[in-house]
Amino acid sequence: MANHRFSSVSEEEPCCDISKKTKICLCVFFGLLIAVIIAVPVGILMWRHPLKEWKGKGTTAHFYEILLGRCYTYTQIVRPELGHKDCQKIGKAFTTAFLSKDPCSCTEQDYQPLLELTAQTVPCNKTLFWSKSSELAHDYTRVQGDLFTLEDTLLGYMADGLKWCGDPRSSEMNYQSCPDRREDCSNNSFSVFWNAVSKRFAEDACGVVHVVLNGSISNTFDERSTFGRVEVFNLRPEKVHQLQAWVMHDIGSVHSDSCSSSSVNNLKRILKERSIAFSCQNNYGPIRLLQCVKSPEPSSCRFYV
Amino acid sequence: MTARGLTHSLLLLLVVVAGAAGARWRGEGTTRHLQSIILGRCAEYDALVNPDPRGRNCTAIWEAFKVVLVKDPCSVLPSDYDRFIDLSRHSIPRDKSLFWENNHLLVTSYSENGLRFLPLCSVLYGRIGDFLSWCRQENASGLDYQSCPTSEDCENNAVDSFWKRASMQYARESSGVISVMLNGSEPSGAYPVKGFFADFEIPYFQKDKITRIEIWVMHEIGKPKVESCGEGTVKILEERLKKMGFQYSCINDHLPVKLLKCVDHSTHPDCVLNSAAASREIPPLWAEHGASHIVPLLVALASAVHM
Repeated sequence: MANHRFSSVSEEEPCCDISKKTKICLCVFFGLLIAVIIAVPVGILMWRHPLKEWKGKGTTAHFYEILLGRCYTYTQIVRPELGHKDCQKIGKAFTTAFLSKDPCSCTEQDYQPLLELTAQTVPCNKTLFWSKSSELAHDYTRVQGDLFTLEDTLLGYMADGLKWCGDPRSSEMNYQSCPDRREDCSNNSFSVFWNAVSKRFAEDACGVVHVVLNGSISNTFDERSTFGRVEVFNLRPEKVHQLQAWVMHDIGSVHSDSCSSSSVNNLKRILKERSIAFSCQNNYGPIRLLQCVKSPEPSSCRFYV
Repeated sequence: MTARGLTHSLLLLLVVVAGAAGARWRGEGTTRHLQSIILGRCAEYDALVNPDPRGRNCTAIWEAFKVVLVKDPCSVLPSDYDRFIDLSRHSIPRDKSLFWENNHLLVTSYSENGLRFLPLCSVLYGRIGDFLSWCRQENASGLDYQSCPTSEDCENNAVDSFWKRASMQYARESSGVISVMLNGSEPSGAYPVKGFFADFEIPYFQKDKITRIEIWVMHEIGKPKVESCGEGTVKILEERLKKMGFQYSCINDHLPVKLLKCVDHSTHPDCVLNSAAASREIPPLWAEHGASHIVPLLVALASAVHM
């Protein structure tokens, strides 16, 4: 622009003809504006998500309400003999175990108060373990009302299917993500919980105990599973004199004797070393019938007429 | 909820009835911690079973339910639950509806928590009330934990009105193939001519949404078959459906359900599977429920010897 006159700004004056001071003010103003435009969303984002990001799914929505509701349902309806249990105290003990703590530094000690409040006697000969057979084992105890899987005890019933973790920088549960056992850390609040309750479930067992195993997979007895790592080694030989395995095969699969497989023999050996007798049955009748309910088509599910 | 839960509830009821001779009503008293249980069930349904993308307000659902808790225990109408139903209703997938009479536990086991079928107790509003009891005290404002009225005490009681309203909704929202499980060993008849199914479900079936109705008449293992398809009250039901213009079919001891019933009676002769029979001998008559077979046999032998 050839016009170098400094004059009062009028409608026809080009924008570049403003004073240096005004230019500086405008630059600063726009600079600040841009900074604010960037900073505010980032700030909001950071304020809303200050928690550490993990690889696993976050705490279950409405975790506390579900926990409490289940505690009352169990102690008032499912097992009214436990009606004296204080669900408010139990709920508090549960959340205290992991809130405001590093979810990767969890120890069994954190859950001790909770374990004490939820102590429960499972009658002898009524304990049912399971490994790689969750659906079938639970279908069975739903029908066979006097057997207990861990998830049929108060604490197991409360926590079944839920996910939870906290954060040291917050008193809130982390609903965004929680540590994954493999990809983040193994001492996470979720895994430590299940190890602790499984251990106690095994320690409390007495008489003849049972386990439902999956004969249609190669590692029918998996030493890395919770059953293989924790439960088998916490059975008390002075209380448990026999473990009976029911090895189930998929309906319609070729009949195989998984009871004499090397993996099941491994289980037998471990128990022998611990002075616990072992017996095994392929395709235990009542559970076979349950499998047939799910897939009644194959001829093996017809009644003998 | 399982058989053991119901058994314990019944035992508890007997103890309460025996002990508290002055109980006003015939039914179980209000379930303790009703609010926490209902809020928990709603939360669980929303978080784990069937999340609503618009988000369910469980507090609002509880507030809507709560209105009946201040009413006279014999003055609660099905319509008092209208708001509650409005907030908790959701669609029911086609072909998944399962109606029943005298089969509560079997239906719960068979439906597999709503995976295989979605009976009323697996739908949110049904889930909320399942196995619970509630009522206000007769002459005071608090809840009555001692006892609550049944239909024998008065018609417009809180629990029956709840199930009437819920049943109507459930029937209205059902579509496709409708399944009905009846108990053919029930002495008073498999199809109660006056009951929830007869009075609050069938009348609300939507003809244009239903393709056909399948009736399963189940019999208890080792017990007498009181009625089967085409007999007694089942015949009454079949004729009623025919008159209403529904396509229907009836099956005795529908195989998948019978297999489930057999889990508890696996050694009974009626429950031996083909594969089991092939691999070992059929168990002798005196296994499990064999006494019911042996005694008449012995009696027959004894009388034959006498003659």
